[in-house]
Amino acid sequence: MSKERASASAGRVGSGEQVAGSPVATDERTITLELFRYHPETDAEPRFQSYEVPYNEDWVVLDAINWIKDHVDGTVTHRWSCRMGVCGSCGMMVNGEPVLTCAAFLKSYFPFAVRVEPLVNFPVERDLVVSMDGFMDKLEAVKPYMIRDDVNDTSGGEFRQSPAELAKYKQFSMCINCMLCYAACPVVGHEEGFLGPAALALGHRYNKDSRDHGRSERMDVMLSDEAMWGCTFVGECSVVCPKHVDPAGAIQQAKAMGAQEYFKAFVMPKGAGA
Amino acid sequence: MSSSGSDGRRGGRRARHSGEAFWWALFSAGGVMAALFVPAFVVVTGVLLPAGDPAVAAARAEAFGQAVGWWPVKIALLGVIVLSLFHCAHRIRHTLMDFGLRRYSGLLKVPCYGGALAASLWAALVLRGNTGLV
Amino acid sequence: MSQGGYRRPHRWAWWMERPGYMRFMIRELTSFFMAGYLVVFLVTLSRVGAGDAAFAEWVGALSRPGWVAAHVVALLAAVWHAITFFGAVPQAMPIFLGEKRLSAPIAMIVMGYGPWLTVSAVVVWWMLR
Repeated sequence: MSKERASASAGRVGSGEQVAGSPVATDERTITLELFRYHPETDAEPRFQSYEVPYNEDWVVLDAINWIKDHVDGTVTHRWSCRMGVCGSCGMMVNGEPVLTCAAFLKSYFPFAVRVEPLVNFPVERDLVVSMDGFMDKLEAVKPYMIRDDVNDTSGGEFRQSPAELAKYKQFSMCINCMLCYAACPVVGHEEGFLGPAALALGHRYNKDSRDHGRSERMDVMLSDEAMWGCTFVGECSVVCPKHVDPAGAIQQAKAMGAQEYFKAFVMPKGAGA
Repeated sequence: MSSSGSDGRRGGRRARHSGEAFWWALFSAGGVMAALFVPAFVVVTGVLLPAGDPAVAAARAEAFGQAVGWWPVKIALLGVIVLSLFHCAHRIRHTLMDFGLRRYSGLLKVPCYGGALAASLWAALVLRGNTGLV
Repeated sequence: MSQGGYRRPHRWAWWMERPGYMRFMIRELTSFFMAGYLVVFLVTLSRVGAGDAAFAEWVGALSRPGWVAAHVVALLAAVWHAITFFGAVPQAMPIFLGEKRLSAPIAMIVMGYGPWLTVSAVVVWWMLR
């Protein structure tokens, strides 16, 4: 096991052809990557381009794409940063499944070809890169920040919170904005006005925060039309989430909260509540 | 909601224009009712009532008639049936939307919720027409 | 989303793309069968009010193979609805005991399967006793 670990770090640095001290070091096997290619200035339609990549057990799909860009075709465009499942940049469709390519090992696909596409339900800017603008607008729409009048008033010290209060929203605060859940959600693909799993989970995260006073403001956005109600609880957002945020659960909870607010408005129409 | 503080100050007076909250609440409550009651209803009226030899069936039919003839049971039945109907109506509407009729989401309310409302009125008449309540 | 860039074509058969989507569709389709059953249930209730002879005739009709098959399908749909509905309870209605969240199996038993079995037993007993 320790041998394999050593080769993993060596493999990352090198090209994968020579890895010292590992049984797979002299491996001449290759794996085929079929990359979605689209350059708007030259391509009217996207196409797939195949590349033979040295097969290394310790490589993830992102390593293979980086190898292609470094050694074969510098025009391949993709997003990545941390390589450790934290930054949320390298989400792509791998054989139709939305995954973080830094966490998708080649050995799960070998010896078959790996088809890599940009995340579905987003417009493609170039090759494997999608436009995030709509996603950012949706995140912004739910006001994902603490709302209270005295937010700059430090005279009373910190805004304290018990571990039990933290537990109520902590899971929903783990999102890394990788957008895999948007690629897994059929409603995102069909309904422009739907805010989508990550944004709704984030809105719910602040609605459940004991220090926040902005629930009513956020609910005005979340309750309108199809913003939240478009969700039919397909549940695949939670299946693909690499951080176990469970946006599907968050949205159902937010719906229940929204229905409560809706009926509360009949009982107390002048907003005398709270 | 104990987890959030006094949230009523801002925007609390703003009207929420989405009727979806109302339909979803019916859907949700109806989902619970349907899950708790409908399987047992199917077993009783679809399997146990018609099954067996004529003598057993006649006894069961009589027991069933008496059981659903008592007025508290009728009221409970009405509640369960109406909520279950609206559960189905909402889910059918959203299924049709997910199947590609999304642009008719407003129009679909008419047959779906209208159908559930019509069936609910029928249920009320049926249960009212039974022995006991009139 | 509303920006430029290449938009991939609309996928009409999206619900065939993932096993999870298929499971979703099967769950949603239970509502069509349950709605159909509820109408038949209302006919049954109305026959009760129409007198013993009318009710006996209707029950006789229900024992024909076609109706039995339809009810078997309705039963499968209703049971699947219940299983999926209670399966969603831990996600949709989390219960916290202090910092700890009630585990999913316990939440499903307490708020789903337990009441379901109780209600089912009471309904069958009450209606046919």
